[in-house]
Amino acid sequence: MTALLRVRGLAKRFGSVRALDGVDLDVEAGKLTGLIGPNGAGKSTAFSCIAGAERPSAGSVLFRDAEIGGMAYHRVARLGIGRTYQIVQTFADMTVLEAVTTGALLRHPQVADATARAEEILGFVGLAEKRHRLGRALTIADKKRLEVARALATEPALLLLDEVMAGLTPAECRDAVGLLRRILARGITVLMVEHVMEVLMPIADHVVVIAAGKTIFSGTAAEAVRDPQVIEAYLGSPIAEAAS
Amino acid sequence: MRPHLLALGAIVVVGLLAVAGVHDAVLLDLLFTLLLYAVLGQSWNWISGYAGNISFGHAIFFGCGAYAAALCVTHGLSPWLAFGLGALVAAALALVTGFPTLALRGHYFSIATIAVAALIDAFVRVSPWLGKANGFELPIAPGWANLQFAQKGPYVVLALALFALVQLATIGLERSRLGYYLRALRANHAAAASVGIDERRWKLIAFAWSAVMASAAGVLYAQYNLFVDPPSTIALAISIDIALIGVVGGIGTLWGPAVGALVYVVLAKGVALKFGGAGKGYDLVIYGAIICLIAALRPRGIVGTVVDAIRRRRGATA
Repeated sequence: MTALLRVRGLAKRFGSVRALDGVDLDVEAGKLTGLIGPNGAGKSTAFSCIAGAERPSAGSVLFRDAEIGGMAYHRVARLGIGRTYQIVQTFADMTVLEAVTTGALLRHPQVADATARAEEILGFVGLAEKRHRLGRALTIADKKRLEVARALATEPALLLLDEVMAGLTPAECRDAVGLLRRILARGITVLMVEHVMEVLMPIADHVVVIAAGKTIFSGTAAEAVRDPQVIEAYLGSPIAEAAS
Repeated sequence: MRPHLLALGAIVVVGLLAVAGVHDAVLLDLLFTLLLYAVLGQSWNWISGYAGNISFGHAIFFGCGAYAAALCVTHGLSPWLAFGLGALVAAALALVTGFPTLALRGHYFSIATIAVAALIDAFVRVSPWLGKANGFELPIAPGWANLQFAQKGPYVVLALALFALVQLATIGLERSRLGYYLRALRANHAAAASVGIDERRWKLIAFAWSAVMASAAGVLYAQYNLFVDPPSTIALAISIDIALIGVVGGIGTLWGPAVGALVYVVLAKGVALKFGGAGKGYDLVIYGAIICLIAALRPRGIVGTVVDAIRRRRGATA
C-alpha cells in the first residue's frame, strides 16, 4: 500500500485541553479517505494540523514520506496539499475568477497563464458562468464550490475537504458527489472530513473514525457502521445513557 | 486597463499644457504639491491600501529622499544620486520595520511604524551630520545637473513624470501576482496561506516598493524647497497627512490617492489662501469635517464608492 499521507500519534493541546490525543491515519494515493467522528471529536483540529494551519503538540505528519508537521502554512500548500474551509473563507472583494486565479498563481506566476488555468478549473467545477460575480454574493453551495476550485487551482496531489457537504440540499449534495468523483478521476487524492456519515458511505474507499481525540476505527465504511466502538462513540454507551 | 492608461495620458497632457501656459507661481506651487501628495498617497496605498497594513510612519521614507538629497548636495555630490541612495535607505528601513511585524495580526505593524518614525525623528534631531533640529539649507545652483531650477515649471514636469511612473507601476501591480496576493492577504490571510501565499515575503516586497516611491518624492521636495528639516519632512503630522489622503480618496484603488490629494490640496491650500493664513485653521476644520463624513458614510473613500457603484451597475453583486 502506498500511503500519500501518514499520520502517527498526532496530539494537540490547547492549554490543558487535549483536543487530539493520538490520531493515526493513512491516506492511500488516488483514493478517497473519510475522516469522521461525533461533534467535538477533534476532526477539524486534526485537519488543521495536517494542513499546516495549526502546529501539532506531538506526533508526526508524513506527506510523501517527508515530515510536514509544524511546517509554515503556506509551504504545505506549495508541497501539494490543498484545502477548503468548513466555514467558507472567501476573498471578499474578489470575483470568482480572481479568487481562483490567485490560487493558480502558485504554479503559474504570470497572471495571464493563471487566469487561463482558473477558467479551465471553473469549467471543471461548474462555476464558469458566475466567474465575474463577487465571491461573497454566491449561494452557500457555490461558495463551497469556489473553495474547491481555489484549492484545485494550486494543483494539489492531496485535497483536504472540510465538511463540504454541510448545509447543502440533497440535490446540491448529489452535485457535490459528482464533482468529487471527477476530482478523483483526475488522480487527486482526497481526505474528507464529514460529520454526517451517510454522505461518506457511498463514496469513501476508506474511513477513519476519531472520538475524543483518538483514532478508534480504520477500515471500510460498511465495517465502520457495524463497529461497536464507533456506534458507542456516536450514540453513547447504553449504560452511560441510562445512568444520566 | 486601457481607460486607466488613457486617463493617465490625459492628465500628463493637461499637466504639460498647464506648465506651458500658466505662469502664476502660486498655481504652479499648488500643482507641484498636488502631484507630490498624490505620489505619497499612492506609495502609502501599496502597503496600507492594497496590502491592508496601515502605516502611520510614511513620512520617514519621504524624509529618506529629502535628507539623501540634502546630504548629496551639501557634500558636493549630484542630487540625482539621492534617488538611489534615498531608495536604498528607505527600502532597508521598510524591511527592518516590516520583517517582524507585517505577518502579525492586530495593530502591531501600525504601532511599529509610529515607533520607528518617532525614533528616526529623535535620531535626526541629535545627529550633527543630519543637521540636528535646524536641518539643511541647500545651496542655490540651478541647472538640470543639480536638479534645481529658477522657475517652478521644470519641477512640475518632474513631479508629473514621477506621478505617471508611480501610476503606471500601480496599474502593473493590479495586474500582477503581487497585486493579486496583496488583495488576497488583505481579504483573508488564512485562506491566502492555504493557497501558498507567504504573507511576510509579499508584504515586504510591497512595503519596500512603497518606501522607494515616497523617497523619490522626498528628493524632489528637497530640491524644490531647498530647505529640509524634521518638521517639514519626517514629522508625525506629515505621516498622518499621507495616511488621510489615502483614506479620503479610497484605499486599495488606483485613483484614490490622486483624488485624496486633490481634495487635500484644494482644501488645505485653497482655503488657506481664501481666508488667509493657516493660522486661523479654517482649512483644518473643513478637512476634518470631510474626514468625519467619509469615515461615517463612505468608509471605502471617494474612489472606492464610485468603483462599488460601477460594480453594482454591472450586476457583479446581483
